[in-house]
Amino acid sequence: MTTKDIVLVALFAAIIVALGFLPPITLAFIPVPITAQSMGVMLAGTIIGAKRGAASYVLVVLMVAIGLPVLAGGAGGLQKIMGPTGGYIIGWIFGAFVTGLIAERLVHDGQPEVRQYIGFFLASIAGGIIVVYAFGIAWLCFSTGTPFMKALIGNLAFVPGDLIKAVIATLAARAVLAGYPMLPSRA
Amino acid sequence: MLTSLYVEGDTFLHRQRPGAKLALILVFGLALYFTELLAVQAAAVAVTGAIYFALPMPFREAVQRLKPVLFTIAVLAIFNGFVLSWQEALVSTLRLLAVVFLAAAVTATTRIADFMETITWALRPAERLGIVRAADVGLALGLVLRFLPDIFGHYEALKQAHAARGIAFRPLRAIGPLIILTLKDADAIADAIDARGIRGR
Repeated sequence: MTTKDIVLVALFAAIIVALGFLPPITLAFIPVPITAQSMGVMLAGTIIGAKRGAASYVLVVLMVAIGLPVLAGGAGGLQKIMGPTGGYIIGWIFGAFVTGLIAERLVHDGQPEVRQYIGFFLASIAGGIIVVYAFGIAWLCFSTGTPFMKALIGNLAFVPGDLIKAVIATLAARAVLAGYPMLPSRA
Repeated sequence: MLTSLYVEGDTFLHRQRPGAKLALILVFGLALYFTELLAVQAAAVAVTGAIYFALPMPFREAVQRLKPVLFTIAVLAIFNGFVLSWQEALVSTLRLLAVVFLAAAVTATTRIADFMETITWALRPAERLGIVRAADVGLALGLVLRFLPDIFGHYEALKQAHAARGIAFRPLRAIGPLIILTLKDADAIADAIDARGIRGR
């Protein structure tokens, strides 16, 4: 990684932390409030690519582990990683990587806008929802003994909110690609 | 703004090496997963709870820190009470509580600098293989803490720019511009780091 890559990784980790301070947004038609921080996985992958996006999340998880309250609502510490939802936190790293991998393959300069939107949206869903859920549910089932199908059904409550996040992340990623592209220069 | 969760003190846990404490969490946590005995889990909660709440911090602060995790554990306990037998639900709830208490105790008794030293040590094999440079991890962490206030500054500036033009400000719509404003400085920061020879070579 070049010095610029390290700076981008650090700045993006700082953005992820900052998103945790934005007030959560409640929409009438979905059961759970939308927190800006959980959008970070999709944003990191689609904006700075697979390797750097995942590295940003390694940094965030590291900060959580060493006891900095960087998660939404000022949470942090090893108890977050060892707790029942720790799988989602570890899953962020892999989610950002997969999001970036797909975005790098699907989105290129000079494509029609619509194709870029679709590419970012698919990447966000695959990495930011499917991969993160896979890690989250696996650890949840292991640590609490909840049967897999029940945990999966319980997780469905979060899907509408996560789809909205994928839309917002897609719009933001495309805005950054147009305004200050970094995805093509992937590390 | 980002104050560490470390609690000043001189308890037995404070004096142990961070690596040893992390190993303790791992071994203790794994051991608990090998038993379904209610009595063992209850004893584990009693011991770890005593360790955590005996740390030199006010009781309210100790509870406040664990609130989000305890809330999740409570919700899952109720959920599991319905889908599993109550014994199974109780065992898994107690096990989680014990692991969480111990993890919170380690977090509260270990300084960030000591954690960093352990991380640097743990990265040494990877460094020898040329995968990552331990110093870069420290550099990146420092950059995050340095530039976090700037991001809040950018956010305020965006808000005021909206207000000045009489447009309603929507936080979620500001994410794109916020990211561009922040990452635009990357080149200048990277040049400054290289100009000072901070990464050596």
